[in-house]
Amino acid sequence: MTTLRSVGSWFIPIVPESRVALLRTVLYLFVIIDVHLFVRDPIPLSRHPELYQPLLIERLFRLPPPSVPLTITLYLILMIGCLVAAANVLPRLAGGVVAATFTWWTAIGMSYGKVDHDHLALVVALWVLPTVGVIADRWRSVERSAQAGWALKCIQISVVFTYFLSALTKIRSAGWSITSWPDSSILLWAIVRRPHGLGQFLLPYPELLHVMQWLSFTAELTAVVVLWLKGRALLAAAVFWMGFHVFTMAILYIHFAPTAICWLAFAPLERFGPGLRRVKARWRERAGRRSARHQVPVLRNHPVDSSG
Amino acid sequence: MCCNRPVGERVRGISRVSYAWRIAATLLGIGLLLNGSLRMSDDAWPLGPLSQYAFSPAKDETIVITRVEGLLADGRRIDLALRVETAGISRAEIEARIPQITADPSLLRSVTEGWTFRHPEQPKPIRVWLVQDQIRLVDGRVGARRLVELAAWELPS
Repeated sequence: MTTLRSVGSWFIPIVPESRVALLRTVLYLFVIIDVHLFVRDPIPLSRHPELYQPLLIERLFRLPPPSVPLTITLYLILMIGCLVAAANVLPRLAGGVVAATFTWWTAIGMSYGKVDHDHLALVVALWVLPTVGVIADRWRSVERSAQAGWALKCIQISVVFTYFLSALTKIRSAGWSITSWPDSSILLWAIVRRPHGLGQFLLPYPELLHVMQWLSFTAELTAVVVLWLKGRALLAAAVFWMGFHVFTMAILYIHFAPTAICWLAFAPLERFGPGLRRVKARWRERAGRRSARHQVPVLRNHPVDSSG
Repeated sequence: MCCNRPVGERVRGISRVSYAWRIAATLLGIGLLLNGSLRMSDDAWPLGPLSQYAFSPAKDETIVITRVEGLLADGRRIDLALRVETAGISRAEIEARIPQITADPSLLRSVTEGWTFRHPEQPKPIRVWLVQDQIRLVDGRVGARRLVELAAWELPS
């Protein structure tokens, strides 16, 4: 019974709700950026019905094939829904609409032959954030809850599973070999096909590319450990993975921004509000002191401390 | 650090049913994700395998870069860059449809329409080719490159 309870409290910890309120704001605003920078092709792609091949999810829910009016409607719903949900207003309704619409929008973007895998954590986040419901006082909430803890835990699991499952897929695609992928010419292949970044300077050094493949593969395979890290160890892991994304961006122009932003689910965001207020108060105090030091010209015959 | 702890902290209650469905949903989600990576294909997105760059090219692999080239009326042959912002469609999407395009080259219409829509000041191509730069790896190092034509399509005038 004690074990069951501790397993339960690991999956559903009690955390500050202000953390979820702030994460909602960041992620819903990020979706607006995503629709313009990353999954930005559903509207142009919907002009080519001859290339559309629906994914399982679209067939399962019998979703109509994309057309220009449909994708523009989805776009408009996303813009309005994200702004409402980012304000923590109508969190279940607006959040639910954004989750369903963004999943459909992204599925359309993946239905023309190319399927990306950087959206797993973000899609999961959009589905679990509405379940926390109304957060009284939103970003200033002083309440804690298991509802908030579960939503954050789901996002954390999705983030680390993005790495772990990609390592698992590499093992599977190599016929269940652990050494085939890190010993292959995959980075060379990727750099030759995307010769825009700094990667081209690494082309003459295939041995170095193999070392980098072993490092990234080992990190991906062991990423699940992050779920049990705390404090500085967790911070070090987050810094490592952010560095990893910056590195892949620099050498391959592959950013994984939708996964990177979801790392915020690990951060004690509830400290941000009070921290910001303290900085503001200190700034005001300093500004007050500075203006007190300024000499104010006093007109002759006028009382200095006139209260009348 | 003392000041980060909220004053008057309260804990919202949670019913047994709410607790139970959350545990069940987590286990189901993890199960579906593992199943996706171990058994399914990209078709199962978002619960499919995370297969980007998840294959193992050999040291003598041939790397292909798929492109579309267009012939202008003045004889110039230009590259119709396969990116969303230049042609409304990306390279990976054209690569995924190579068998269909070689069987029916008029499918290259998606590229020419997207490209001319985004380049109204440029003359329209009169003929387009689906081509591939093939780069041979030799013992894990970049070797010779050659150009191969896969399909050609005359645009209706």
